[in-house]
Parts: sequence; C-alpha cells; structure tokens
Amino acid sequence: MIPVFLVATGWLAFLFPSGPVPGLTRSNHWIRQHDCERLNKQEAYRKYPGRVPPPKAEEDGEVGVVVCRERVVRDGLRSPADEAVLRKLDGLVDELVSASEPYHASLDDRTWLVEVFYPEPSVSVKLSFATKNSLLQSGLQVSDRVPLLSAEDVNVLTRMHPDVAYPAACQRYADTGTLGPGEALLAIVRRDPRETVLHAGICVDGGWVWLK
Amino acid sequence: MKPLLAALGLCMLATPALADPLEDAQRRKLDELRSSVAGEVHLTALDMVDELVLGWKSEPVFADATPVVLASVTVPVGMGAGMGALIENHLADVLAANPGTQVQLVHCPSCTAVVVHSGPEATVVSRGIDNPDALAELEDTTSQNQHALYVDIEAEGAFLVLRARLTRMTRERPIVWSHTIASSTSVPSMLRAPGQLMTADEARDAYLDAIEGRGDIHVPLRVGVRTYAQPEDQAAVAPPPFLWFQSGAEMSLTRGAGWTGSLMGGFTFIPQAYTGLMGQARASRLITGRVRSHGRPDVYAFFGAAVINVWGPGTEPFSGQVLTGDDILTAQDEDIVNRDTFGTLQGGLDVRVGSRMGMSFFFEHMPSMRENPNMGAYVTIVNVPFQSLGTEVAFWF
Repeated sequence: MIPVFLVATGWLAFLFPSGPVPGLTRSNHWIRQHDCERLNKQEAYRKYPGRVPPPKAEEDGEVGVVVCRERVVRDGLRSPADEAVLRKLDGLVDELVSASEPYHASLDDRTWLVEVFYPEPSVSVKLSFATKNSLLQSGLQVSDRVPLLSAEDVNVLTRMHPDVAYPAACQRYADTGTLGPGEALLAIVRRDPRETVLHAGICVDGGWVWLK
Repeated sequence: MKPLLAALGLCMLATPALADPLEDAQRRKLDELRSSVAGEVHLTALDMVDELVLGWKSEPVFADATPVVLASVTVPVGMGAGMGALIENHLADVLAANPGTQVQLVHCPSCTAVVVHSGPEATVVSRGIDNPDALAELEDTTSQNQHALYVDIEAEGAFLVLRARLTRMTRERPIVWSHTIASSTSVPSMLRAPGQLMTADEARDAYLDAIEGRGDIHVPLRVGVRTYAQPEDQAAVAPPPFLWFQSGAEMSLTRGAGWTGSLMGGFTFIPQAYTGLMGQARASRLITGRVRSHGRPDVYAFFGAAVINVWGPGTEPFSGQVLTGDDILTAQDEDIVNRDTFGTLQGGLDVRVGSRMGMSFFFEHMPSMRENPNMGAYVTIVNVPFQSLGTEVAFWF
C-alpha cells in the first residue's frame, strides 16, 4: 500500500508541481527562463498587485507565495559567460565595491578611476558604468578618465602571468604619470575566460593590491 | 540520360528548399517572440527614462539651464541598435517638454566623431568626447566646458536597470552626478505624456486604481436580439425576434471588477408589430482572471432576471392561444386586448474588450411560458426549458 501511495504522490507532484520545478506543465526550458522568488503575501501583493490578490486580515506574514518572472533576455541571445555576469551585474559590482571599502577612508581625498579587463567590450562598458555609479554612491570622487598605456607596454604585459601583469601595469601607470598621485585605480578583472566570478584590485602610487 | 541527370539535379536543388518552410516558420516564431519581448523591454525602458527626467525636474542637477551633450546610450547586450535610437529620441522629446530639468541637450559633432590625437606619450584613437585633450586642440567652442550624459540600460535577470551619469568635459573628467533606476514590478509600463510625468509611486497608485476599478460606475448601452424557439406543434407560431435597446448602470461589486452588477431598462418598438418595455438585473463573474485585464479581452459568466412587458400584434404568441401566421398578419389594433407581462431567468457569457465594447450570448427561461404551445425550447437542462436565445452588443461609456 505504501509503495503505491508513494508512486501516486510522486506522479501527482509531477503532474501538478507546487513550486517552480519541471513537471508535465512546466518544461526545463520554462524553469531556466524564469527567475522565481518566495515572498510572504503582504510583500507579494505590494510588488505584484495585479497578479497576487490582497492578503486577508487573518493571514500572517508567513504564508508564502512563489512569484516567477520571465527573464528579459532569452537563453542563447548572449554568451553564457556574459549572461552569468550581466544577470547579477548589480550584485557583482556592489560586492567588488564593498571589497574596496576598507581603503575608502584612507583614499577619500583621491579621485577614483575605473578600468575593466574583460574580453567582451560591450560587457566591459556595463561593468565600468555600474562600478563608477556604485563608487559615486559611496561618496567618493570618481572620474571618467581612463589611464592609458603605450602599445609596447600592453604588448609586454599581455605576455605575462596575471599575478605579475597587473602589478606591473600598475607600476607602469605610475611611472608614465597616467595615474597621478591624487588618483586611485579600481580595476575589475576576469582572470580566466572560464570563470564567471570577477576579481578586483586597487592601484595606488604604483602599488597593487588584490581585493578579491 | 541527360534528362535523368537534369531531374536528379533538380531534386538535389529542391532538397534544401523543402527544409526551408520549417526553418522559415521557426524564424518567424523567433522573430515574433523577439518583438514581443522587445516591445515590453522598450516600454519599460522608456518609463525609466521618464523617471530619470522627472528626477531632474524635481531635483535639478544644475542651477541654470546647462548644455549637455548626449555622449552615449547603450542598450542591453543582445538587443538591437534601434533600441538605442528609440531611447535617445524619447529622452530628447521628454527633455524638450520639461525645460524645468535645466538640462539642455546640445549637438556637438566633434564630440561624437572619432578623432586621432598624437601627443608626446602616445597616439590615441577615440571619440572626441572620450579625449578632452583632443577636443581642446580642436578649439571647438561647442565642446568646451560642457557636460556629457551617459545612459546605460541593461537586462539583469527579470529586471531592467537604467544607469545614468553626468561628466564634466574637462581634462580630469570628473563625474558630477550619477543615478541608478531599477524597473519596478509594481508599476507596469504605462507611457505617460511627456508633459505630464509622474513618480513611480503615483504611477503605482494610478495602476492600483485602474486594476481595482475603484469608483467605477459605467453606463452601458446594449443592442440585443431575443429569438424564441419554434414550438413542436408545426401549426403554432413562435413569437418573432425582438430587438431591444437597453441602458442603465453597471458597477464593480468587488476589487478589480471580479464581480459586477447591472440594472438596466429596455425598450423595443417595431411599427405595426410590437412595442415593449423591460427591466433587467444581472450579476457577472469574471472567469478569465481574478481582476479585469487591460491588455486582453475578458470573459464574464452572468446570470440575471428580467421582467418584460410587450404589446402589439406580434406579441399574440405570448398569450398562449394557438395562432396561425394568418391570424397574426390579419390582426387589427382593436383585436389586441392583452398586454403580456412575464418574467425571465437568464444565464450566458459576455466577452468584453477593455470595458469599452462587448458581445454576449445567453439562454433565457420563462417560467410562465412552460405550457405555452407557441413556444419550444432551445435547450432543456434538468427539466428546465430555455425558450429564448439572445445575443447582445454592448458599449460602455
């Protein structure tokens, strides 16, 4: 009897899935294409008033509602690596700027510059934009200027291992004067094309520090 | 042999063509999906531009009207460049309609052109706006000491995020202002007139008012026809179709017009045939959602009751006397001695588009006509005959 019950309930869960899981009525593709969040009824009604009915007075905040929203960009439109970064761009950038917070107090009289080392230029622009906004919201002085290196420098640096290349680039910034004494550079880096996490480092007066 | 080879060649040529229709269909479907998604994204993006401009209007960045060069508008990676042009045009449109923002868009050809600047350190190829040194040497007065506006819109999961920053176009290029706006799920896209911007909170209130239908009392005008089923007795004659004009009041009984109720009065008149009056009450229940939709048709199921009073030669079949067609055609005014008054119970479906127009179908049961030999039944459910079938077209004001 018990095995029959278990099989029956398993089939019921497959036929009528209660949450955002694949089943007869929801394909794997549907699940991948949606972002779902579990909310209490008050919050769900506040955020989705047309789709979630107003909670009754006796319903406390613990009653859950799962709301799924279709992602704006469909699967396959962007490369998986770029999608992984862009999908959580705000969170990623906030995380990197938070990592630099210990240096904010000591460098608050400097102007912060942002440089992004990411292989895809269109994503690089997005990362740079979000980082500058986040730094400015932190109360720092931020500049749109980008420190430049000569073609010979770049030629040499790109042949070096990342552990050495970024400190060396930082030193060259200081030596050539493109990064002045009143400035600090926050660099956002993707060290390995296979990874979807981003790293950050600070360059001040020719000295390089990895933050993350 | 040659014709055989030619035929074989044609078949080989035709093979890829056979696969085309499926690929074309897939491509069309993909295009439809893309345009649908793009449409929603565009509307949300334009809303966020509105919100950006409204922010400048309520808290101007500059004390006086300040020339600003639109340096770039970047759209979500993967979206077409056409969206950038759309955003750019909309931004210019909204800014022109709201001079209180103190942001004055100006054209600066040397800012957007690609320039090559050779100095002692390096030769730099860039847009003019990204290289103030080059702009300074061009001695282009339109580019001196101005501000550059950068706008970026990106799709982050299920949300769109707009970022904007203003940079002073000096050698140091300091960012003087920045802002980030995320699309709000509680304020669906509703494009406002450029001169009547509202905050996200105000838009949310307007949206809630709209979906909850607060204070909605509508005046519908219905034009309908009721037909009566032919009796089983071939000698008897069913009443003719009745054309009704109805109007009254309809109001939402619950949130979002999930339930609505209406009280209507009706009038019918065909010279030399019949005249009639009616009073009708209906309750309707939305069956295609919890609240009324603003984007697709709604379907209501309804039930109601009516009292109908008719007189004239054409109403004789309601009297219950078995008549022939000749009796009706030869009837004179003085023959009409009775007014027929009867009650009806009705149930049906109502399809509405945007609460502006709709069409309904219903069956009607007339308890007092159960034994009337002049009337048959379109359908009988649990021994209840529905003698009348009606259809209506309605307009709401």
